[in-house]
Amino acid sequence: MRNNFIFIILFMLGLYALIMKTNLIKNVIGLNIMEASIFFWVIAFSDVGGEVAIHKMGEEFSKFNDPVPQALTLTGIVIGASTAALLLTLIIELNQFTDTIDRDEIEGLNN
Amino acid sequence: MMTATVVLENLLLIFLVLCAVMSVRFEEELISIIFLSTFSIVLTALYLLHRAADVALAEAVIGAGLSTAIFMSAISQIRHGDSD
Amino acid sequence: MHKYLKKTLVISVFILTAIALYENFLLVPEYTGLRTGVSDYIISSGLSDTGSLNLITAVLYDYRAFDSLGESTVIFGAVSGIVLILSRKMLPVSSRGLSFIVKRTFGLVTPFIALFSLYVITHGHLSPGGGFQGGVILAVISIIFSIVYGSAFDYRRYSPQVKTAMETMGAFTFLGLGVVGILMEGFFLKNLGFLTARTGTLISAGSIPYVNFGVGIKVGAGLAIIFYSMIQKTFKEDF
Repeated sequence: MRNNFIFIILFMLGLYALIMKTNLIKNVIGLNIMEASIFFWVIAFSDVGGEVAIHKMGEEFSKFNDPVPQALTLTGIVIGASTAALLLTLIIELNQFTDTIDRDEIEGLNN
Repeated sequence: MMTATVVLENLLLIFLVLCAVMSVRFEEELISIIFLSTFSIVLTALYLLHRAADVALAEAVIGAGLSTAIFMSAISQIRHGDSD
Repeated sequence: MHKYLKKTLVISVFILTAIALYENFLLVPEYTGLRTGVSDYIISSGLSDTGSLNLITAVLYDYRAFDSLGESTVIFGAVSGIVLILSRKMLPVSSRGLSFIVKRTFGLVTPFIALFSLYVITHGHLSPGGGFQGGVILAVISIIFSIVYGSAFDYRRYSPQVKTAMETMGAFTFLGLGVVGILMEGFFLKNLGFLTARTGTLISAGSIPYVNFGVGIKVGAGLAIIFYSMIQKTFKEDF
C-alpha cells in the first residue's frame, strides 16, 4: 500500500510531461515514464516474497514469485522501446519540414 | 537483514522519483535523456529487489542501453531554426 | 481568460486522474488471494511440462508462445514503419570514428559482448535471459560499430542486406517451429516433446532453445536496422 503513492507520483509526472510540455521529445520521455510506472506496479504487486522463478538443479523448492506477470512485463518493455523509436522517427521527419520540435510553434505555422 | 532491504528499497524509490522529476524538469533534451537512463538503472535495481531477474535484465539492456542510443540519434538529427 | 480556462481544465484533469488511480489501487485485492489457478499450475508443473528450469521462459515460449509471436510482429511493424518513413535519406559515410585508444579497446571488448549475447540467448531456459534480452545485446554490437569505428565500417561488415536476411531467418525459424508443432504434436507452436533431453543440459526443454535462437536473431537484427535507419541524414541542404 505504501508503494502505491510512488506509482501515482510517477504516473502523474509522465502525464504532466505529456500534457504541459510543448517539446515533442519531452512528450516521448513522459510516455516512457508512464510505461515504467505501470510495469513497476505490476512487478511490485505480484511480489509475494518468494524467490526468482527459476528452478535450481537438485533442489525441491516451490515458493516462487509468479512468473506470468513477469513474462507480460517483459513483452511490454520490448514493445515500449519499439514504439518510442517509431515516435522519434516521426518527430525527426516532422522536423525536416518545420525546423522545430515545439508543439506550439508547429501549430502556429498553420495559421 | 530485513530492515536493511527495506531501507535500501526506500532509498532507491526516492532516487527513482528524483530522477523522474529531473528528467521532466530540465529544458535541455540531452540532460533529460541522461536522467531517463539513470531512471532505468535505478528501476533495474528495484526489479532485482522484487526478485524479477528476467525483467531486470531486459530493463537494463533496453531502457538504459538501446533506448538511450535511439534518443541520442534522434536529438542529433533535430535542426533548430534559430541557429541558421 | 482563455489561458485561465485552459489551466483550470488541465489541473482538474490531473486531480481527477490521481483520484481515479488511487481508487483503482484501493479496489485491487491482495495478490495472495489471486494466485490460485494458472500461476499455481505453472509453478508446480511447469518444469515437468516443458523441461525448462526458467519458468518465465517456459511461459514466454511454451504456454504463451503465440503472444511472443505477436510481439515479434509488433517489432517487425515498427521496423517496417521506420524504414519506410526514413527511406528517402542517405547514409553519411563517416569512416573516421573515435580515437585510436577507443578503437583498440573496443576491438578487445566487442568479441566478449558477442559471446555474452550468445550466452544469454542459448541459456535462456537455464538462467535469467532469453531471446529478447540477448537479441538487444546483439543489436548493441552494431551500435558500437557505428559509433566507435564510423558508420562505413558498420555498413561494410554488417550491411543492411545481411541484417534483413537475419531478421527473415529468425522469423522463419519461429514460424517453422510452429508448423512443425502442428505436424508432430497437433497444435501450433506446441513444444516438441521428442526433443526433450535430461533436465539442465544445454539442448533440453524441447523446442524452447531453437525458438529462443530465432527470436534473438530476429530482435537483434530488427533493432540494429532501427538504429541504422535513424543515424541517416539527408543531403538536401549540404550540397
